[in-house]
Amino acid sequence: MKKKLIAMLMLVVMIGALLAGCGKEKGKETGSVSQGESTKKEEKTPPKDENITIKVFSNLPDRKNGQGLVEQMIIDEYMELNKNVTIEVEALDEEAYKTKFKAYAMNGMPDVVSIWGQPSFIDEVLDAGVLAELNETDYNDYKFISGSLEGFKKDGKLYGLPRNSDVMAFYYNQKIFEDNGWKVPATYEELLLLGKSIKEAGMVPVAMDGGDGWPLAILLTDLLLKVNGDCSSIVTPAVAQGNFTSGEMKKTTELLVEAAKSGLFQTGYDSQDYGTAMNLFTNGQAAMFYMGSWETSMARNQDIPEEIRNNIRAFTMPVVEGGKGKATDIAAWNGGGYAVSAHSEVKGEAIKFLNFMYQPDKLSKYGWENGVGMSAQDQTEFLSGNETELQMQFMEFLKNATSVSGTPINDCGPSIFKTVIESEIQSVSNGTKSVDEFLTNIGLACK
Amino acid sequence: MKKLYSNKLVILSLVLPGIFVFIFAILAPISLSFYYGFTSYSGMGKAEFISLDNYIELFSDKNFHISLRNSLFLALGFIFIQHPLAIIVAVILDKLQGKAEGILRCIYFIPNVISVAVIAYLWKFIYNPDFGLLNNVLKTFGYQGQINWFSSDNAIWSVLVVLIWHGFGWGMLIYYTGIKNIDPVLYEAAAIDGANTTVTFFRITLPLMKSVIQVNVTMAIISALKQMETVYLLTNGGPGNSTQFAANYLYQQAFKAFRYGYGNAIGVVFIIICLAVTILLNKMFQEKKIA
Repeated sequence: MKKKLIAMLMLVVMIGALLAGCGKEKGKETGSVSQGESTKKEEKTPPKDENITIKVFSNLPDRKNGQGLVEQMIIDEYMELNKNVTIEVEALDEEAYKTKFKAYAMNGMPDVVSIWGQPSFIDEVLDAGVLAELNETDYNDYKFISGSLEGFKKDGKLYGLPRNSDVMAFYYNQKIFEDNGWKVPATYEELLLLGKSIKEAGMVPVAMDGGDGWPLAILLTDLLLKVNGDCSSIVTPAVAQGNFTSGEMKKTTELLVEAAKSGLFQTGYDSQDYGTAMNLFTNGQAAMFYMGSWETSMARNQDIPEEIRNNIRAFTMPVVEGGKGKATDIAAWNGGGYAVSAHSEVKGEAIKFLNFMYQPDKLSKYGWENGVGMSAQDQTEFLSGNETELQMQFMEFLKNATSVSGTPINDCGPSIFKTVIESEIQSVSNGTKSVDEFLTNIGLACK
Repeated sequence: MKKLYSNKLVILSLVLPGIFVFIFAILAPISLSFYYGFTSYSGMGKAEFISLDNYIELFSDKNFHISLRNSLFLALGFIFIQHPLAIIVAVILDKLQGKAEGILRCIYFIPNVISVAVIAYLWKFIYNPDFGLLNNVLKTFGYQGQINWFSSDNAIWSVLVVLIWHGFGWGMLIYYTGIKNIDPVLYEAAAIDGANTTVTFFRITLPLMKSVIQVNVTMAIISALKQMETVYLLTNGGPGNSTQFAANYLYQQAFKAFRYGYGNAIGVVFIIICLAVTILLNKMFQEKKIA
């Protein structure tokens, strides 16, 4: 009898331990990321005084610099104004972010999330119905640049708001240019010749983050704009038909290959990451750096030697001889932004917070004041005279733009297309694959 | 106490946790992988059944073939470079005795205790053509060129070096333990019979290490097939797909390309290959035992 009692006791303890391991602590659940079960619950509007926790999932892990700092400033301000609201931030680098976003999408998303208004990301997300619909008329006075909301819509309904206006350019070190008698190139041919001169002087001409693939894809977009005068008339049908073998695409790809072949980029550019490429430029080893307007904060970054950061300037892709694109046709688009989870338990408050972020004197103003690139909202009223020359240059690029490229080519198709083109573009630029192979393979990825 | 252990309820209570872990942590995920392998699931929304389409695509997917070829190349690198070196070093360490033995054993094991992320970034800097250690060392020897260690042709070799270096200490330690377990009387008898070091190595050490070698080689092949973290952080399969490995390709398809169904199909093929390799190796070593 005693033996049986001990056996029963052991069984009960074991089952208890297993159940305890599987269970949830009720207190800790409050305000946590909504899991599968919570996604089924109806949206609740909590009473005014009730403590609310909003979970923000962000792709800006650096909370002390750049856009991460701006985001954190607004969060702190919102919590200060709404004492009953606590905002918890989970921030990851872009690639890790996208992977975890998908995991969240399967099991319940945080309340406010970073998103990208580009087909390669947003199409699957909207199809899955994980984002809350926003009322577009709420944003009539938010001064969004015309057309900037389009990437975040599906069937005429709005699901997110853009954060930035991104412009791609060549950052260059003005002092190094002047000391060596180099001039900003007016044509693509001049750019390649300049690259050769810089190389002969023992420097890296252009620091390129080729390891990630997407900067090369944006370069391709930039060149296509200069060759054809616009991108969408070539890219949209090519993605739809899975056929990129048009003469314009071929010529554009050949121009990119020519640049790599002529040594415009650093040795091993196709395997080097963002940080390595940027370091080459900010350490003075590279004369130029091909990157987006979100890096204008380099001019204020105290970690970069003063002699370099004070001399950073930029120019956009020069014209291609015989091409239809003008010097003022620039590679620019509205990419990243924010959205609210469709199944958020605090959806009302989350949308309220989102709207707070986008009040013209928040994201847009703080972003401008901190020199972290340009917002998707009109920023002209925030000009204070304290802007860096670099900021003003980018503002001029946009102001004088005769046309913009729109979404870069790698983000124009389904996500498998993005994966393939970002890998294949390394192969075609380093000569491992021919231009024809490259164009065929990216076409197949669309099918 | 003996009677207590013969009670079925007690046995059940002791076995159940293991069964639970097996079912929920191993069997269920594998079964789900099989299921999703037959769907076009993107990871979000609904999963659509597409029969064998994913598996048919796998057969014609050149990048998958490259990733398998690279995994095989890595496995061969482990078997023919890493493990012979590990055995030799283990034998030398055993002969050293004294303080040097302990110190060197620790030194060789250090790469194993460093995080994969640190190792990847360390080697990224070592290999960097502009400011990397390797090219700078070559410069001091008078070499004026700039070697691109991660070019399409060199990258796979560069990755191989890192992975061999990283896993070397672990393999060496297992061989070292195996050697330590060999009865020293056998070596004494061989010495009396006039056998030199080479003879004792081939006639005593190696034959008695067969079971250790079997375990080590099987583990090396499996680890080559499932290689992911270091490659992901070092090259992410690039440039192009020149350093693409099966596990990294699976990750890219499932989580970057939003092709969860296809990624699961790769996972299923991957499980089958791992099982086949393990069975084959067991058979190979068994046959040799009979012979």
